[in-house]
Amino acid sequence: MSGTTLPVVLRVPRTDRATAIRYFARRNPRMIVGGAMILTWLLVALFAPVVAPFNPIKVNVVDSLQPPSISHLLGTDDLGRDVLSRVIWGSRISLSVGLISVGIGFFVGVSVGLSAGYLGGKFDLFVMRGIDALLAFPALVLAIAITAALGPQIQNAMIAIGIVAIPAYARLTRGQTLAVRSRDFILAARTVGCTPLRIVTRHVFPNITNPLIVQATLSTAFAILAEAALSFLGLGPQPPDPSWGQDVAYSTRYLSNMKWWMSVGPGLAIFSAVFAFNFLGDALRDALDPRLRRSG
Amino acid sequence: MIRYILRRLVLMIPVAFLVTIGVFVLVRVSPGDPALVFAGEERDPAAIAAIREQMGLTQPLPVQYVIWLGHLVQGDLGRSFQTHQRVIEAVTERLPATVELGFAALLISTSVALVVGIVSAIKRNSVIDLLSTSITLAGVSFPSFFLGIVLILLFAYVIPGHIFPPGGYVPLTQNAADNLRRLVLPAITLATASFAVNLRQIRSSLLDVFGHEYMRTARAKGLHERTVIARHALKNALIPVVTLIGIQVGAIIEGAFITEQIFFWPGIGRLAVQAIPSGDYPVVQGVVLVSAFSYMLTTLVVDVLYAWFDPRISYETASA
Repeated sequence: MSGTTLPVVLRVPRTDRATAIRYFARRNPRMIVGGAMILTWLLVALFAPVVAPFNPIKVNVVDSLQPPSISHLLGTDDLGRDVLSRVIWGSRISLSVGLISVGIGFFVGVSVGLSAGYLGGKFDLFVMRGIDALLAFPALVLAIAITAALGPQIQNAMIAIGIVAIPAYARLTRGQTLAVRSRDFILAARTVGCTPLRIVTRHVFPNITNPLIVQATLSTAFAILAEAALSFLGLGPQPPDPSWGQDVAYSTRYLSNMKWWMSVGPGLAIFSAVFAFNFLGDALRDALDPRLRRSG
Repeated sequence: MIRYILRRLVLMIPVAFLVTIGVFVLVRVSPGDPALVFAGEERDPAAIAAIREQMGLTQPLPVQYVIWLGHLVQGDLGRSFQTHQRVIEAVTERLPATVELGFAALLISTSVALVVGIVSAIKRNSVIDLLSTSITLAGVSFPSFFLGIVLILLFAYVIPGHIFPPGGYVPLTQNAADNLRRLVLPAITLATASFAVNLRQIRSSLLDVFGHEYMRTARAKGLHERTVIARHALKNALIPVVTLIGIQVGAIIEGAFITEQIFFWPGIGRLAVQAIPSGDYPVVQGVVLVSAFSYMLTTLVVDVLYAWFDPRISYETASA
């Protein structure tokens, strides 16, 4: 090695960082839009007590069935409750059910997939038959059956949606693990005496996160939609707690009277939250999947 | 081919077995005493004990499962706690309505998605493509029950003339015109989510085919673009569409639970949903089992068709 060595600049100048962010935003507008929508809903849910103009469960019969106005932007229901406030408070339930149930599905599904893919053999065969049995049910039918059996409660809806989410993670993780486990770095890790648990958690898992991130985003969208469907069927949170699906179901009794605002608020709220996660998931898939990146 | 089908059928047995265990366990973990629900107004402890004995609830759980499974393989799904009607009868009575609705939804979603998907892929990044991808995303994100409500509001109340009724069902054999009029809104509601999934699949599988070398070869040898698409791209891209039908059957079964409820459509989905609040578990159990087995069989048929359509898939690899 001869000659002069150039100094390596590790700190990225601020202007370059701003350019990089601008470049990323220009290249991934869908990711920015989806992310911003999700962030908005998360902030709304977090600050519901501050943002909501009225108490969502306070009955005020004097103001019942008011159409949208300045004082009640999304109108009121038959008990005079402010629809906007119920939508804002309902976001807490929808988002928490979505995120917690995806957490359950992710944790169990990824653990099962990692073990089945890495250990292989009879364990793989046995466990994956169990996953196949879960896949034999149409997802929402299984969620309905589990919630109906456990009782209509928010915790049970979370468990049901979480169980339904397991197979997708398990199959995805198993497939990715099978592809990674024959790679040289896994052989190297095994040669230096790493335990299977260490190999799986420190070497396999970090190499399969991209498709899992996409799956987690898309399954959050499914979870919110499933929670809304369960609530619509009366299997989610019980009245008077505000819940988007339940409020849409409640509004159906006033359809013939043209009290449309009772359904529109919670209906559009479900749509926008699900849309945001689907939008972000699609953008992430395009960005993280090298096959799509090449063809795109 | 027959070996492949047989092998798939054999592989289905343990899964079907696990499904029955799952459904049985679900009902047994349910809160409440089935004997009390079955007894209804009857509160005499001796009568309830007799019912419990008659229902086999005094037996150990594994024994109860074996007895239940024995009845199941003979097509006996038990009796409704509410109406005391045989569950299999209740399901078969309502199945035609669900099948009719499902078939109409399948027809709408597949045919419309095929047309839009092909145009969207051919004219990639055009206004049509942008519009169709937006519709796709909106379609999968729009809750079906909300869409149903919007359609009811528009076509049954807002638009003058009340084009379509807000719900209800008239058997096809009784009045075909009225039946079709009542079918339109629920079929569109049920078809929307499947349509979005189909459209996405058709578009992406066509785009995938466009990237293959044989497409470049076809163009290089001077074939007309229309011939390249019709003869080379479509033929290959439509193979995965077969699997879509399998996926859709699942979506349609689960969608039926919601759509039938909104439109008062007397199918098996509505039967199950109405049975839940009263704790009529045999009915819920029966509908869930019928749904799961129909879905499993459809998946099998679709896999077989897929292997049959695509000569690149050998039955040995497909079955592995």
